[in-house]
Amino acid sequence: MTTTTPQVASRWSRFRGSYLLYSFKRDLIAQLSLVVFIALVAVAVLAPWLAPMNPYDLAQIDIMSSELPPFWVDGSDPTYPMGTDAQGRDLLSTILYGARVSLIIGFGAVALQALLGVSFGLLAGYLGGRVDAFLMRLADIQLSFSTLMVAIVVGALVKAIFGGATFSAYAVPLLVLIIGLAEWPQYARTVRASVLAERSKEYVDAARVMGFTSRRIMFRHILPNTLSPIFVISTVQVANAIIAEAALSFLGLGMPETQPSLGSLIKSGFDYLQSGSWWITLIPGLMLVVLVLVINLLGDWLRDVLNPRLYKG
Amino acid sequence: MTLKKTLLASVIGAAMTTAVLPSMASAETTLRMAYDADPVSLDIHEQLSGGILQLSHMTFDPLVRWTSDLEFEPRLATAWEQVDDTTMRMTLREGVEFHSGNAFTAEDVVWTVERLKRSPDFKAIFEPIESVTAVDETTVEFKTADPYPLLLNLATYIFPLDSEFYSGTAEDGDPKDEIVKNGNSFASANLSGTGPFTVVEHQKGTRMEFDRFEGYWDEESPGNVDRIVLTPISENATRVAALLSGDVDFIAPVPPNDLDRVREDEDVQLVTMSGTRIIFFHMNQERVEAFQDPRVRQAFAYAVNQEGIADRLMKGFATPAAQFSPEGYAGHVDSLEPRYDLEKAQQLMAEAGYEDGFEISMMAPNNRYVNDAKIAQAVAAMLARINVTVDLKTLPKAQYWGEYDDRAADMMLIGWHADTEDSANFHEYLTACPDADTGAGQYNAGNYCNPALDKLVAEANLEVDLEKRAEMLQQVEQTLYDEAAVVPLHWQDLAWASASNVNIEPILNVMNFPYLGDLVIEEE
Repeated sequence: MTTTTPQVASRWSRFRGSYLLYSFKRDLIAQLSLVVFIALVAVAVLAPWLAPMNPYDLAQIDIMSSELPPFWVDGSDPTYPMGTDAQGRDLLSTILYGARVSLIIGFGAVALQALLGVSFGLLAGYLGGRVDAFLMRLADIQLSFSTLMVAIVVGALVKAIFGGATFSAYAVPLLVLIIGLAEWPQYARTVRASVLAERSKEYVDAARVMGFTSRRIMFRHILPNTLSPIFVISTVQVANAIIAEAALSFLGLGMPETQPSLGSLIKSGFDYLQSGSWWITLIPGLMLVVLVLVINLLGDWLRDVLNPRLYKG
Repeated sequence: MTLKKTLLASVIGAAMTTAVLPSMASAETTLRMAYDADPVSLDIHEQLSGGILQLSHMTFDPLVRWTSDLEFEPRLATAWEQVDDTTMRMTLREGVEFHSGNAFTAEDVVWTVERLKRSPDFKAIFEPIESVTAVDETTVEFKTADPYPLLLNLATYIFPLDSEFYSGTAEDGDPKDEIVKNGNSFASANLSGTGPFTVVEHQKGTRMEFDRFEGYWDEESPGNVDRIVLTPISENATRVAALLSGDVDFIAPVPPNDLDRVREDEDVQLVTMSGTRIIFFHMNQERVEAFQDPRVRQAFAYAVNQEGIADRLMKGFATPAAQFSPEGYAGHVDSLEPRYDLEKAQQLMAEAGYEDGFEISMMAPNNRYVNDAKIAQAVAAMLARINVTVDLKTLPKAQYWGEYDDRAADMMLIGWHADTEDSANFHEYLTACPDADTGAGQYNAGNYCNPALDKLVAEANLEVDLEKRAEMLQQVEQTLYDEAAVVPLHWQDLAWASASNVNIEPILNVMNFPYLGDLVIEEE
């Protein structure tokens, strides 16, 4: 009991005195990005309470109020501040819900990628030999299938076996699975490279001599020392996963039209882009750009901080 | 370095294209056109559809065809006379040649009609014809069992096939004249007609190329197009952009939300007509028990806001419908109005015991009718108000018709244009009790069956007194409305657009069969 309290305090003070916080305080872009990112996550998480209507409830949609412009354009309706899409959905609500889907898929897919990639990377790097060869060839094979192709195959299989209704009902977990499975090698390769570098260091030898199990050495000793590249890839991968989901939905392989995500919303407005109703594509498009941009900026900053070779003068 | 190189290359490229293009243009006139989809097959008896009939008018010639003001114009038949109540004699054009080089004779007409009577899609409209005989090389005689007033209308659907070309067995051992729906047959990949164009190349879903047939009989045709390249572009916005940027010279259909943009562009011209094609949903009574209850069907009809769809999705470019027959048709009933009334719909569902609704599947094409997929989505949303959950699937027409023939969903969207320009045709194909032998109800994906109506339409077809006949057909429409056999949506208007030097207006008609053989492209 007495020993834990000072430890917690020291962690906090360690963070306060850390280079991480120091550089964050001096980096305006990182601060802005974090604020915007937290704001976006907050509105997305609180979408069911913030949104004026539930865009996934078809019974609330009225075709008569379709294609209304946002509030600053003539002919708008105050009920729909951001306008409506071609089916009469409130765009503001749809964007909030859509951002939620994008974030869930982005983080979910990255969590899955990290789980697979880190485990495989650790095993391959630490055990070496046949395990390494096998896992890395598996990664090569996986890399040769693009995310799109995996999505098409899995999507077609699920639709053929379980029907379209099932696909619509499980679209989110399925997309997490597809994007997660398609991109785990990114992690595996980075982790493996770091593990190879760490494996020959003295502390690993020491741990081995002390008789620790391989599992303990891998997860308790080596893994913490490979975390910084994992963090950096994670930020990039979250942005990538969000873009992948949007691209899949835009192509009609992702979220069903009845539960639009940002990507499917951009697609549904695409026909109207040049014929007056530009807001259906442009507003969710901007939202997507901002979301991905702030994540990437944060990732950039994190990379600069965690990479000692990139100290800025 | 690389930038300079690319720049240089593009300059050279541009110089070369400007140098080459004019000389090619003077050599031949090419029409580059984009439809929302290409024909599903080269066998014009495989499917009764707008796309196939458009192909028929390009590569074949009918015996007679409609002019734009709905008169009959002689094509392969030059004259016709009614011998008695049930016999008509037609004189055929002489000196006509098929693409294969074979000469066109009366035997080809007989062979074609016999094949039509075997086609699952066409046999119902050719049911009244009892026999066709070749009197001599250039005369055919049509006999009907009973007096039939619409024989000439039917003749617009007789595109004589090259009987010699389609006879015998193909390489795979199957007879060349077999009709395989949605499959591979000799006729679905090879074609020989008398029409103005021959098919040079057909890459399904990508590109189709036609060349003008050198031996074409109609030397008086003003048409000067030597080559046609048809590219299917299913995305509305992309199709319009292709026309506006000059990538293609002719597009159809023009989506309603782009009409203004096309109209305002000075380099292109827009032609619109109010259409007669009814767009509607079938409710399959065999797949869903609830649809057997007329109250449920009525509830669906009450729940759908036709005016909303016509006004918002179609931008007023469609007429909201509550029946099959458009105005001007014999069966049109003036008093039938769209009946959107949500409360009534909910009440009917409650009466039928489906207050809590149920789940259905719905299918619609996404490149066949104007805004088809969006319409289906809107209807799905409207049905949510009566607690019906819809699993909607939209697919390209190449796949859709296969699913349609399998009746693969509980509600299916289809558009229909009366082949004979007559009300009876709607009922015969869409709501008659399905009968594979006669071909009745071939497109009745609702399995609606009311034998009394079938009888009434059969009697109407024999009725020579046109007023009485109209009364009978109107009674059919009224019954279909009362029993809510289908959910009618709207009559779709037609729109085409072309570059301003392509004279499309004279060759267009309300059937949407552009007579491309007569198309004139002016030199710029």
